[in-house]
Amino acid sequence: MSSIQEKIRQKPWLGWVLFLATTVIVFLLGLFASSIVERKNEATYTLQMVKPIADWEPRNEVWGENFPREYESYRKTLDTNFASKHGGAAMIDYLEKYPELVVMWAGYGFSKDYNQGRGHAHAIKDIRNTLRTGGNKVSPMPATCWSCKSTDVPRTMAEVGVAEYYKGKWIDKGQEHVNPIGCQDCHDPKTMDLRISRPALVEAMERQGKKMEDFSRQEMRSLVCAQCHVEYYFKGKDNYLTFPWDKGYTADDMEKYYDEIEFSDWTHSLSKAPMLKAQHPDFELYKTGVHADRGVSCADCHMPYKSEGGVKFTDHHIQSPLNNVANSCQVCHREETSDLIGDVYERQDKIEEIRRLTEKALAAAHLEAKMAWEAGASADEMKPALQFIRHAQWRWDWVAAANGLGFHSPVEALRVISTSLQKAELARKEIALVLVRHGKQYPVALPDFSTKDKAQALIGLKMDELRKDKQDLLNTRTKEWDKIAKERQGTLIEY
Amino acid sequence: MKEKKSAVNERGGFIRRLSPPPEWRTPVLILLGIFTGLGLSTFYISNAVSYLSDDPAACINCHVMVPEYSTWERSSHGQKTNCNDCHVPQDNIFSKFYFKAQDGLRHSFMFTFRMEPQVIRIKEAGKNVVQENCVRCHQNYIHPLSLRAINNKTIHYDDETRCWDCHRETPHGRVHSLASTPNARIADKTARVPDWIKKELKKK
Repeated sequence: MSSIQEKIRQKPWLGWVLFLATTVIVFLLGLFASSIVERKNEATYTLQMVKPIADWEPRNEVWGENFPREYESYRKTLDTNFASKHGGAAMIDYLEKYPELVVMWAGYGFSKDYNQGRGHAHAIKDIRNTLRTGGNKVSPMPATCWSCKSTDVPRTMAEVGVAEYYKGKWIDKGQEHVNPIGCQDCHDPKTMDLRISRPALVEAMERQGKKMEDFSRQEMRSLVCAQCHVEYYFKGKDNYLTFPWDKGYTADDMEKYYDEIEFSDWTHSLSKAPMLKAQHPDFELYKTGVHADRGVSCADCHMPYKSEGGVKFTDHHIQSPLNNVANSCQVCHREETSDLIGDVYERQDKIEEIRRLTEKALAAAHLEAKMAWEAGASADEMKPALQFIRHAQWRWDWVAAANGLGFHSPVEALRVISTSLQKAELARKEIALVLVRHGKQYPVALPDFSTKDKAQALIGLKMDELRKDKQDLLNTRTKEWDKIAKERQGTLIEY
Repeated sequence: MKEKKSAVNERGGFIRRLSPPPEWRTPVLILLGIFTGLGLSTFYISNAVSYLSDDPAACINCHVMVPEYSTWERSSHGQKTNCNDCHVPQDNIFSKFYFKAQDGLRHSFMFTFRMEPQVIRIKEAGKNVVQENCVRCHQNYIHPLSLRAINNKTIHYDDETRCWDCHRETPHGRVHSLASTPNARIADKTARVPDWIKKELKKK
């Protein structure tokens, strides 16, 4: 036998060959490994930051220095030119368009002022301007109302604590909120990964035993929107922002949730019904639709990929897909633009038809209930009717307040609004019985509320005072807010 | 020489011949361990096991594929397909892995030696596979007769007409290069809730 040892003894060069070969292999293997690590690291430098973004940076324009394409497209949310048949970016005065709403919201802020929302960049301007948030003398809204309006929210919440943030009046926290909804609301400033910045969503998910980490990237492209575009309520006397999702996401589930905790947003000033105000359950309604079933996210339609020269990026002009059918609908649906828009309008028209019937029935129900009280009805007698009114208006609002006039899930929207119409008519039947029992004729003659002005006068709103008080606020207080904010952050631009 | 050969035959095989004398065993074992460990760590760093899966995330182990990944993810194909559904043969497992290994070796070679072009374009073999896979899923829409009626073409690749000659946007879009999706990256799932919210939740 000749072992290697013996062989090398016989031919010493063989030892050198062995040594060199091993050296070369290990050297190359090391190079290979380090090259893999190196090239992996290259991937982490995808984000080329001109100016690193500070942790709480609320100024969208500062983020924009690093991401000019995204920022420029975000700025287009200022554009209010696009109006579709039922929505879009242009302001619509809903109270003018549907005066019944004034009667339906008697005793509640929305009867003063309610417009189709404009783009995200208008958020600060619009919340300052709306009559709902009041003026210097009367400031009816809680601080919680700021929660969705500004990139300043996370900083302020982290500073004072979440519960403390919600406490107090809206007017007392204006100086903290000057930058409209933007970058920081959805993005991590270091990595640009999607990130949740509002605790209410995380809390609602935790109550259901869900962790944000468990959702897919595609789901995150909807969940960042679901921080705000959802139904919520202000819990307790300190107005803790809470999502009513513990029993499920449908209108029926949330109705049960609210009934169980005997929550009401306000007591109607005409009918005395304990009312619920639906916010904008866009996410919940969308979840019941076919697009959600197929895994389409909010961003797929509202923020599609966009090409600029040779570069593709997510279009941050968040808007109605009807203004950008080519990049949204037509990615999947290879039909003509006009046909696709026609399909949307057809569904919306049908929902609108039932919605209008419901609004007329509900306005009448409130006014008739008032007459029943005046005729001497007792609380016990009125109870069933008021419960029907509560549920009917909740369901109507669940569809009406959501953006897109039901298109996020046309079949579910139509189901919910139909049950609303049924309950509104059941309420009127109950009230008719009470009226007749108290010696009144039915049908009763309803007062004239055919315009916004007439309706607001009917429910006793003093609009001139409200407008004057608001103007006072805009002339004094909001200017102070801007001054304080400018000192805090260095620069402040007006969107 | 002849003597030695016969000695080897007598004393048993090749491995035996390589095995070191007893007094050298320990250092040789240690050296072999270093060698294997280095190999294994390369295997681990390169995330090699992921290449056996169909998970599209494996394809962006190399960041040069991110434009392809991002455009696919945002396309209509992003919901129902993965990379392999289109880019490797699906007729049987042998041809699938044979093609995958062949393609993967070429990709890793190009990437390691920094030979990737600014605009990555599909090769002939890849085109044929993709075309087969278009047909595999969309058979119902592209009946040979109806297609011939439309444009006098057949569905197969023998006449050099491909689906994407017309469907140019599907699914990666028309324009792509390494620079075409500058900010696209794969998000870190664990950083979705900032620390201040986590702290608040613990307080409750």
